[in-house]
Amino acid sequence: MTLSTMLSTMAAGMLRTCGIFALTLIGSLPLGMVIALLRKSKFAPVRFLVSIYIAVIRGTPLMLQLLVWYFGPFYLFEWSIRGWRFPALILGFILNYAAYFAEIYRGGIESMPVGQYEAAEVLGYTRTQTFMRIILPQVVKRIMPSVTNEVITLVKDTSLAFTLAYQEVFSLAKQISASQTSFMPFVIAGVFYFIANYAVAFAMARIEKALDYYR
Amino acid sequence: MIVEMKNIRKHFEGLEVLKDISFGVDSGEVVSIIGPSGSGKSTLLRCATFLETIDGGEIIYMGKRAAHTDESGRAVYVHHRELRQFRAYCGLVFQQFNLFPHYNVLQNLIDAPIEVQHRNRDEAEQTAMELLKKMGIADKAKAYPYQLSGGQQQRVAIARALAMKPEILFFDEPTSALDPELTGEVLKVIRQLAEEKMTMVVVTHEMSFAKAVSNRVIFMADGLIVEHGDPREVFENPHEDRTRQFLRVFDR
Repeated sequence: MTLSTMLSTMAAGMLRTCGIFALTLIGSLPLGMVIALLRKSKFAPVRFLVSIYIAVIRGTPLMLQLLVWYFGPFYLFEWSIRGWRFPALILGFILNYAAYFAEIYRGGIESMPVGQYEAAEVLGYTRTQTFMRIILPQVVKRIMPSVTNEVITLVKDTSLAFTLAYQEVFSLAKQISASQTSFMPFVIAGVFYFIANYAVAFAMARIEKALDYYR
Repeated sequence: MIVEMKNIRKHFEGLEVLKDISFGVDSGEVVSIIGPSGSGKSTLLRCATFLETIDGGEIIYMGKRAAHTDESGRAVYVHHRELRQFRAYCGLVFQQFNLFPHYNVLQNLIDAPIEVQHRNRDEAEQTAMELLKKMGIADKAKAYPYQLSGGQQQRVAIARALAMKPEILFFDEPTSALDPELTGEVLKVIRQLAEEKMTMVVVTHEMSFAKAVSNRVIFMADGLIVEHGDPREVFENPHEDRTRQFLRVFDR
């Protein structure tokens, strides 16, 4: 295998990696907010269920969770899992990352001084207006460093897709390395991940800078 | 009467903070509330502005009842949608300003008028600029709160409350978080509002200000109104020992 075919095969794998990354963020960033709000629900059973969910997600390896989502339907219900690989993968990633984002959001929301809520209340804002106009914009700024951390971790965590034999860049690196008895694929994969994270860090720094107009 | 508070009771976890407080404020009046910390002054303002719910008593704004005590002795409020109307009658200026840091000064002043009162943006901006001019900070319209001094921030907070066109404005120790050299500029604008016959209730530790500006003074201690009357009378010839004892501390 020439270096250029190796590179183009792995570039295709990197595209799939980016697919997992993007879909996970699109799903988990908003879902995390829903979970964070449910965790503050007035309805005790909802709060309880959400705290169990977060405890289970944080208390077990993502690799295990991916296997459960993929093989669970077959072992539990004897359903066919043909075509289920990619949906299971994305489901596992989204549900896992949403739990972590939910905790980041919760921390951000709870760090808001009570005076902001009171000022909004006296001015007659509804609860929804208070959250959307006053609290959320400030929470976003406060949690950016933690979110950046999590997003960078996600870039690297996408490699866990190899457990479901999904052909993203890490799976391909392992396969090509074994078949070609070459160390090169790992170097290429490492460079790809590093470049991806460099881009992520750059983008996040831009966002943080854009939010820097107030303190 | 703009507001009437009758037989207000409030407790926090077994501690009685307000024990049967009654007072009213007429249109154009300035009432100062003084008293030692922990006497319930701030709680009273928070009850009047609906940040806290009362345990018993009656709150009446503009002749309309916002809360009363039912047969079982519990305080009952009007439905929360109706309560929003009552909220519109009163403004509150906090000790800690509580400006919205992500909004510039102008946005702080126009957001609620536009979003809550559905007023026209141009009109809201015009009103806001007039208020800022009055507060002497028109040049700060585009500044963010962190760029302002404490005194300027508090003047923005006063303007923000006034932008809602309330019937009455409550002040909760408006100068207590300020450096001494900055209290003057805030007291000056409150005095100016008093001259314009804005109805105000001011919880304060600034005794000379209370004496000079208010029509009436209420002295509170231990959740009760100990003395209530003409500022001259209360400050120079207090009837109660408790009042004398409190005022002596300030004379020293």
